Amino acid sequence: MKRTLSLPYLAVAGLSGLLFGAGLYISQMVDPLKVLRFLDFGAIPEGGWDPSLGFVMVTAIGFMLIGLRVAGRRAAPLFDVKFHNPEFTHIDTPLVLGAVLFGVGWGMSGLCPGPAITLIAFLPENLWIFLGMTFVGSFIGHYVQKALVARAQAVRT
Amino acid sequence: MEAFSPVPALIGGAFIGAASALLWVGNGRIAGISGIFGQLLPPAQTVVWRILFLVAMVAGGFIAAMLVPGLGVGGPGGLSAEMIGEPWWIAVAGLLVGLGTKIGNGCTSGHGVCGLARFSLRSLVAVLVFFGVAIITVAVTGVV
Repeated sequence: MKRTLSLPYLAVAGLSGLLFGAGLYISQMVDPLKVLRFLDFGAIPEGGWDPSLGFVMVTAIGFMLIGLRVAGRRAAPLFDVKFHNPEFTHIDTPLVLGAVLFGVGWGMSGLCPGPAITLIAFLPENLWIFLGMTFVGSFIGHYVQKALVARAQAVRT
Repeated sequence: MEAFSPVPALIGGAFIGAASALLWVGNGRIAGISGIFGQLLPPAQTVVWRILFLVAMVAGGFIAAMLVPGLGVGGPGGLSAEMIGEPWWIAVAGLLVGLGTKIGNGCTSGHGVCGLARFSLRSLVAVLVFFGVAIITVAVTGVV
């Protein structure tokens, strides 16, 4: 049987997803208005800025650092033959362009992908419009990214 | 600032960090939601664990809301889970989130949590750009 279909592998994926979704709810990242109030730096002078969500990053990164420490002593993860390190490591045009587009979408809606999907549990009106368009954007983005990377490689050679 | 909620934020962050650490130590996978979601499209590989993760994520949010109903959605400070803006506004925002996270290979979780914990300069650049642009967007659109 394929490794990625083994029971422990899928149990890890399921447990990780459960914890992730619970964390998004508990931290209130699932609330678009809360996110926009965190991004609203213009409200700092009048004292209306809500910095709460900055604290999410502190413990999230802290726990991930521990995970990386533990994993660092191993040649492979517990239930796969290798660590799937990120495909790209350099700073390039697609990275910056993508971050700009994502930043606009995040600032417009107060939603990034994790909270948007977790909101399926609460089904706010028009959520499916957002998720459907995210899927469409992801589909188009795949080809845009491929084209941009290919062009960058053509320039380099 | 009645809505200031550092303690739930710290606890929620710990859950998110623990989830990311678990997925990395157990399966050697980055808990980047846009990647897990975006790679369900063709040419998709290893679809089963991705779907399981996402379904479990929705269930995790639901269970947490049952156990601690006072937090987050419908919680104190007049917070809600309502979508913001007209349908066309939501559609444009969703399209940009999908496009941007795919082209830039990551979102708040992949670049923001996993990337920063790995001291990845690439992720730091991504985070500074999408954070900066999001702050400008909120300032310009003035939705809040």
